[in-house]
This record gives sequence, C-alpha cells and structure tokens, in this order.
Amino acid sequence: MSDFDAKLLKEAADWVMTLHYGHAGDKERIAFENWRQQSPAHGAAWARAESVVGIFQKLPSGIGKDALQTLHSSGRRRSLRLLGMFLVAAPAGLLTWRQLPWEQWTADFATATGESKSIMLADGTQLVLNTASAVNIKYTRTERRIQLAKGELLITTHSDPSPTYRPFLVETPQGEVQALGTRFSVRRLDDKTRVAVFKDTVEIRPQSGIPQKLSAGQQTIFTDQEVHAPTSVENSATLWEQGMLLAKNMRLSDVVAEMGRYRTGILRCHSDVAEMRVSGSISLSNTDAGLALLEQSLPLRVETATRYWVMLRAK
Amino acid sequence: MPPNILLDQTVTEIYREHHRWLTHWLNRKLGNSFDAADLAQDTFTRLLKSSKVLSLGNESRAFLTHIAKGLVIDHWRRLDVENAYLEAIAHLPAATAPSPETRALIIETLLQIETMLAKLSPRTREIFLLAQVDQLTLAQIADQVNVPVITVRRHIQKALLTCMTVL
Repeated sequence: MSDFDAKLLKEAADWVMTLHYGHAGDKERIAFENWRQQSPAHGAAWARAESVVGIFQKLPSGIGKDALQTLHSSGRRRSLRLLGMFLVAAPAGLLTWRQLPWEQWTADFATATGESKSIMLADGTQLVLNTASAVNIKYTRTERRIQLAKGELLITTHSDPSPTYRPFLVETPQGEVQALGTRFSVRRLDDKTRVAVFKDTVEIRPQSGIPQKLSAGQQTIFTDQEVHAPTSVENSATLWEQGMLLAKNMRLSDVVAEMGRYRTGILRCHSDVAEMRVSGSISLSNTDAGLALLEQSLPLRVETATRYWVMLRAK
Repeated sequence: MPPNILLDQTVTEIYREHHRWLTHWLNRKLGNSFDAADLAQDTFTRLLKSSKVLSLGNESRAFLTHIAKGLVIDHWRRLDVENAYLEAIAHLPAATAPSPETRALIIETLLQIETMLAKLSPRTREIFLLAQVDQLTLAQIADQVNVPVITVRRHIQKALLTCMTVL
C-alpha cells in the first residue's frame, strides 16, 4: 500500500515475531508500547499487522483448516472442471457483510464436540473454548464483551492496550461476569451459569439479582435471580485445557457425564455402577482411551453397540 | 458538452455495441446464462467507474475483455472457496454447521486469505499456514518441513509483510 511506510510495516512485522514467537517479557512489552505510541502511523502499521494475524482467527478451527487444505492441495483447476455443473447462487448475506467495514465484523468462534480451541484476542486476552462451545466476541470502544452462546470458556485476561478503560465482560442469558484482572472459567448449564475463579476476582451480576464477588479458588452457580453460595475449586478444574479430567473421588456417573461432553453419540452408565468412586486422570481428548482405562481399573465393562451408543455396566 | 453527458453517451454507445457479444463470451466461459448476465452487468459497471472510459476509442472491446476476464477469475475463485467450504462442513452434523451469516463471513474471510496468500511462494505459504492455522510453534514447523528454525522465522516474517501490503 502506498499510503504505508514500508519501514514501519517491516517493524510491525518484527514486533509480531517478537511478541508471538519470542520470549517477550515486561521489557519487550514496554519497548513495544513505546514503539507503537510513537505516532499514529506506528499505530496504524501495527493495526495492519494485527488484522493479518486476526483474519486467521476468524476462521472456526476445523472448517477453516479443512477448506484451506482443500484449496491448496488440488489447485485452482478444480473449479474449471466443476464449472457449469456446480451452480451456487451467492448467499444473500454475502453482500451485506461485504459492505461492513472490516472493524465492525464481530468474530464468532465455535468448537465441535471433542474439540477445544485456544484463541488469542487482539488485546492479548486468551480464550480457550472447551468442547461443543460457541462465543461471539464484541469489542467496542467502551467494553470488551464475550457472549457465551453455549458450552464452556476459560479466560485469561491481559491488560488492555487501549488508552481508555474498557471493562471485560462475559455474558450468558442469566447475567454477566466482569473480570477484575484475572483467570476464570464460565460454563453454561441448562438454565444456570457456573463460574470458577483461578486467579484474582470477578464480579457476577445476575439479570435481576444482587451482584456478588467471587475470588480465586471459589466456584459458584448463578441464575438470572441470584448467586448461590460459593464452594471451593481447584486449579485442576482447568485441566480440560490440556485434554485431561482429574478425578478425585468422583462419582462414576459424574465422570461419565463429563466424558460424554467430549464425544458424539450417547455415553451412559447403568445405575448399578453409577455410585462407584473414581480417582485418577482420564483423557478427554481421547475418550476411547479414557473408557478403556475405566474398564481396566474398575469392576465394570464397556458395552459398545456402535461408536455412538456406549454403556458402562457391572462386570 | 458537459463531461457527465459525454460519459453517458459514450457508455451507452459502448453498451449497445458490445453488450451482446460480451454476454455471449461470458456465457461460453461460464456455461451459465444467469452468471453471464450478472458478470456482463458488473463489467459495464466497472467500465463506467473507470477513468479510461472516455479515451478508449476503438480499444473498447479489448478493455471490456480485460475487465471481464478479471471478473471471471474472481467468480471462479469464489466458487473454489465455496466448494472447499462445503466440503469442509460436509461431515458436520446439521446442528453444528454454521448459520448462513457465519457461513458468509467464513467464505469472505477465506477469500481474503486466498488473496493474501496468492502473492506467496508455495513454501512460504505452507509455513505461514502451519503457523497461523495450525498454530504450530517455530520448532514444530521446522521439524515438519525439515528446515532450520531461523529459516521458518524468515518465511513467516516475509509472509506477514507481504500480507500486510496486500490486505
């Protein structure tokens, strides 16, 4: 682009490398902030670098990757062959989207069952989407809002580079949770929301109830009316981020319900084994291996009608 | 004559003289008269906006063909991307498939990525995609494509810079 200084663009690209791929500490971050704030042109060059990186994050992980692979494995000639027999009318929504300025796009991310996805937002905040989850990200000049459409989300906020203060909010139908500098998770249950805090504090604001603060090591459930009394939570509750479930004296039926979130089809346990207690680490990223482990270590057998219908029974 | 009346007249003349063969030409390229009619319309819209329109003389046909070729290529690219997208979601259960709005957004994003990637060499593109889409670390990429980490870094940096100028 002629209206961009080539030198500034190169410097911006260098900063992406340092911040994303180097071991950037406070010193580098301060140096970066100084660079970025030198002039509006520096800021604009950085915004351009961010939108290149950001554009890939707008793709849902599985779909985007598969589509790009298809496009690059078979080359352009595919369309020549398909042309004439494959007639698609452009979706009506397309034109509307095209007319929106780039900045106003709201990014939507979703994960399929069994998938998890880590997303770095422009302000450095890290989101990890658990299995079968969906979020809408709405950053504006006055707030940073994440709508949790379904599933579960682990958030590690980062200080906002924006010069004006923008609160960081996670929204569910029952209310919103404001981060007060922090690491926490939000999960949607049927008509409730569960929040667990692993660092610092959050404030929970039910739709029509009294707001309440929750601090590190606590978890609670809230409805649109009220926030329940907090109970304790351990850091191991975020191990799903690494595809693991750490069970400590957990009821088998709870373990099975948890594993069921990570696979398609139906996974159940019979009532005569439901009360068995389970301790240990179980793979969520490979639930078949997890089931095999349960079968090995407990007096039960895994009955598999199809991959989509699995039942645990007493031996 | 005021310039806008001149413009109107010129474009009307060009339209009368060239619309028929252009639609025919597009129809042959695309094998579909609806798309051909659409693209013919787009071609004249582009012509109308072009600063060259008044100075074409007897170059009109060549210029129209030039514009139309570009539009046909864009059209193919979009079909390619739409097909790739449809293939990618083919295995998803209907309930988890993206909504029409999300779908339009994804296709538009893919097209933008395609435009950015078009300027990269195959090797640079491969490495850049491993970094951005697969989110691999430099060391993991180095392992996978069998080049030193420093080369991986250079490819990514180059790709970033190229994409920044294209976007």
